[in-house]
Amino acid sequence: MSQVFHYIEKKIIESLQKKSNQTPEQLSEYTELSIDQIRRGIEWLRLKELAKVSESSKVTISLGKNGIDAFKNGFPERKLIELIKDEPKSFDEVRKELSGTGFNAAIANAKKNGWIKIDKNDSGAKISIKEKPIQTPEEKLISVIGEKSISEDQIENKLALKFLLQRPNYIIQSTEKSKTISLTEKALQIDSTAPDSGAIDVEADVPQVFVSRTHPLKDTIDEIREIFVKLGFSEIQGKLAQSSFWNFDALFTPQDHPARELQDTFYLENLKSEKPANPKQIKQVSTSHSQNWRYNWQLSESQKMVLRTHTTCVTIKYLAENKPDESRVFSLGRVFRNEKVSYKHLVEFNQIEGIVIGNNTTLRDLMGIQKEFYKQLGLTKIKFWPTFFPYTEPSLQTMVFNEKLGKWIELFGMGIFRPEVTKPLGISKPVLAWGGGIERIAMLKYDQDDVREFYNNNLNWLRTV
Amino acid sequence: MPVVELNLNRIKKLVSSNVTKKKIIETLPFLGLDIESQDGDQIRIEYSPNRPDYSTDFGIALGLQGLLGIKKGIQKTNIRKQGKFEINVDSSLSKIRPFVTGIIAKNGTIDDQSIKQLMNMQEDLHFGIGRKRKKSSIGLHDFDKISFPLTYTTATRAHSFVPLNSESKSTIENILSDTEVGKNYGSVLGDTKLVPIIVDAEGKTISFPPIINSAATTVTTKTKNLLVEVTSMDKDAAEDMLSVVVAILQMAGFEIIQLAVTGNKNSTPKLNSKTIQYDIRLTEQILGLSISPSTMVSSLKKCRLDAMQKGKKIQCIIPRYRFDIFGSMDIVEEIALGYGIENLEPKLSPSQTLGKKSLSTTKLEIISKTAVGLGFTEALNSSLTSKRILYDFTNRDSSTMISVLDSKSQEHTILRDSILPGLVENLSKNIHESYPQKLFETGTVFLKAKPINETINFAGVIAYKESNYSEMKSILQSILKTGFKVDSKTKTPRNDHPIFANGRHSDVFVDEENIGKIGEINSDILDNFKIRTSVVGFEIKLSGLIFD
Repeated sequence: MSQVFHYIEKKIIESLQKKSNQTPEQLSEYTELSIDQIRRGIEWLRLKELAKVSESSKVTISLGKNGIDAFKNGFPERKLIELIKDEPKSFDEVRKELSGTGFNAAIANAKKNGWIKIDKNDSGAKISIKEKPIQTPEEKLISVIGEKSISEDQIENKLALKFLLQRPNYIIQSTEKSKTISLTEKALQIDSTAPDSGAIDVEADVPQVFVSRTHPLKDTIDEIREIFVKLGFSEIQGKLAQSSFWNFDALFTPQDHPARELQDTFYLENLKSEKPANPKQIKQVSTSHSQNWRYNWQLSESQKMVLRTHTTCVTIKYLAENKPDESRVFSLGRVFRNEKVSYKHLVEFNQIEGIVIGNNTTLRDLMGIQKEFYKQLGLTKIKFWPTFFPYTEPSLQTMVFNEKLGKWIELFGMGIFRPEVTKPLGISKPVLAWGGGIERIAMLKYDQDDVREFYNNNLNWLRTV
Repeated sequence: MPVVELNLNRIKKLVSSNVTKKKIIETLPFLGLDIESQDGDQIRIEYSPNRPDYSTDFGIALGLQGLLGIKKGIQKTNIRKQGKFEINVDSSLSKIRPFVTGIIAKNGTIDDQSIKQLMNMQEDLHFGIGRKRKKSSIGLHDFDKISFPLTYTTATRAHSFVPLNSESKSTIENILSDTEVGKNYGSVLGDTKLVPIIVDAEGKTISFPPIINSAATTVTTKTKNLLVEVTSMDKDAAEDMLSVVVAILQMAGFEIIQLAVTGNKNSTPKLNSKTIQYDIRLTEQILGLSISPSTMVSSLKKCRLDAMQKGKKIQCIIPRYRFDIFGSMDIVEEIALGYGIENLEPKLSPSQTLGKKSLSTTKLEIISKTAVGLGFTEALNSSLTSKRILYDFTNRDSSTMISVLDSKSQEHTILRDSILPGLVENLSKNIHESYPQKLFETGTVFLKAKPINETINFAGVIAYKESNYSEMKSILQSILKTGFKVDSKTKTPRNDHPIFANGRHSDVFVDEENIGKIGEINSDILDNFKIRTSVVGFEIKLSGLIFD
């Protein structure tokens, strides 16, 4: 199986097989790839030991100010020859004509070349031609360079260049570092037109993409809902904002109970429910409170709107309205507590609560439903402990053993509604209730020890959990 | 849940020397007590607020003795008449705090641990059945520092005495304004001119209920004899509270002596037990447990109640301090506890009903699937959010906002009337994650009505450099068709809204009804959220569109 190349690599190999030792710029020009693509491709090939990169520095030559003047108008010594070719001239005359173009240089070089002689007499020195001057190597070099930049390597007469470099402002020398790319022996053998040349490098790294998904907590909620449905429970729904009547009074929580205080419950500012329940319900609940708790029950207190502190207000309202003889229903949704937010407390979380009315409604049946529920969740090591809920009697809580933490964790609670709750609302049969918070289960499932993470909407977590 | 700290050695001594610490730890949960933490022999226990008798190790030991079968049945309340100790109530209290009751407890020993336990009991009683001292409150005094008879009377706010933990006299006025208890509980008294005080035969103030005792009667480890007084707005509530104290002090080894109470509708407490006739059939009906009446009787006795079978009934005697027991259902629970919850076998009976999800749940599941199919990830935000996100940062109209009272969290003060601002805030928290980012959320929003209208909304956002109105409109169209099966005519007439860019926003109409909004988010708003890319969003109302 031949090696597989990226199309960038393939183009570079092809180009270098035709013409070795190219610069990245040259490769970019021939392959029509961008310079960035070329650089990347070279790096890949180098790592695969298919390409060699040799770094070299190149010296370029161009003419300086005096060089250009010499190219256009001749060297100063050539200008001098032009001045004296018809008759000898005095220093003063020559200096006047050659001012600014290097009189001293002209005299010195013409003399050195043996072109002139200087005769002294009474009236001063005169300069005259000694020999007819031919084109010097320097003049030839200047004409070769002209107004271009050429590589130093291209210059044949190194001596002429050396001389010119000694004269000020004739030659500008600049050094440029460059890379030249060539193929290794191995790469020269590559046949980029081979039949599987359409294959790609399947081992190469690829850019990361993320799945879109439903929220992990929502998945847990859905899973739990499905189990309730499987166990024969049907979903009922209710409002999140409730009157205190249904959230507290109907559940036998006295109006002066600390649980009803502002510090535990979110009361809604300036909102009240004019008729929280029908007159009969109000009268009977009020009587039950006055008789059992011995205080003066106030309608106004029950009219205050709160964010429900449990889903039980939904189930009790359903029972009071429907008075079923046989029923399994559940309500699921957000509940609220006025607490400080921390790694284990939220002001708003999800709760599920199921109720059973009818035959086979003993505490042992309720325990059986619980056991099956946890089994469906994959939790088999459970036990029951007594506990206290204000509106159920007897009341139990389930403890589930968490292997990872090595301890028992409290999960759902359950119990039978107190007659003080059901009787005033006209419900005569025992009502079994069970349920609890869902975030706790999600925390176990996702190995999450900070409950806030479920509401941070941190994409890094959502995309990878 | 209230918490009490116990020492295992101490509790072992109280229960029985024959019981192991291990057994104690194993048994505590079956009294309904949760072990919160353990550090060597020190354990912290959470107990239920309806059982103030569990606020001390004495009360817990009483329960453990029963469940472990060491001592069963009622601990008989034995109030002896001995000497003449009286408290007389003045009529000026009628409209202030009319009732007082109390007892004297003699010949006990009080060490540091016991004082700690009694303080915990006092706190618990004040908070729970005392309703933060408003309904009833309790005071413990060194009996030997007091001369009888006592008077429960009133004084003006200029009255002064040396309060507990102080060395100098203070006026009532100053106690209320300067001390911590005064500040915390002064409001219980309202703004009456007169306040309740208890004075002794020498005219010495021993208590200023429900705020503070006097320094003169401070209980220390040298105290041998106690006076307990309870003042209250309700006579029965006062005696309930006193009954808990009596049960605990008796368990702690004190002799209980009567305090006679007279005057202004007050009377000497009797703390009688009550009787409940229990129908034995309830055990099977409620617990699903077929056990003999004699097992029921012995189970009840293990819960420190008295019981005897009378035909088809069991006559149950409930001591006064178990005022959490209202009727037969409470007796059922006591039987279950005494019998042992661990002995109750769970039983799975087949369901007589078929379960079903609600219509809105089913529809929302389809929407989630559709949104995920279109590349959106689901976000979840609280419905209780902040004014900053919901209105200030998004330039939305806050005139009908719904606030909660006294939230403990600054970030949770307003009920959301829209989902979109929360999603934009989510984007602002993810500016370091790779783009494009696509989020959606379905959830309840709240609108002020009579009193509140709740609807379920669906919102989505797309954030990346090239995101734009048309892209989102295509997506919304596709959702309406696939997710909602809405084939009817939809229209998107141009509108202006401060959250969206001018000319890049429209309403969404289905069958001539406005169901929501779509548009590119205004760059000023993106600046507020420090988002440096383009964002387009939509929000539509589902209630009324695909379910009621």
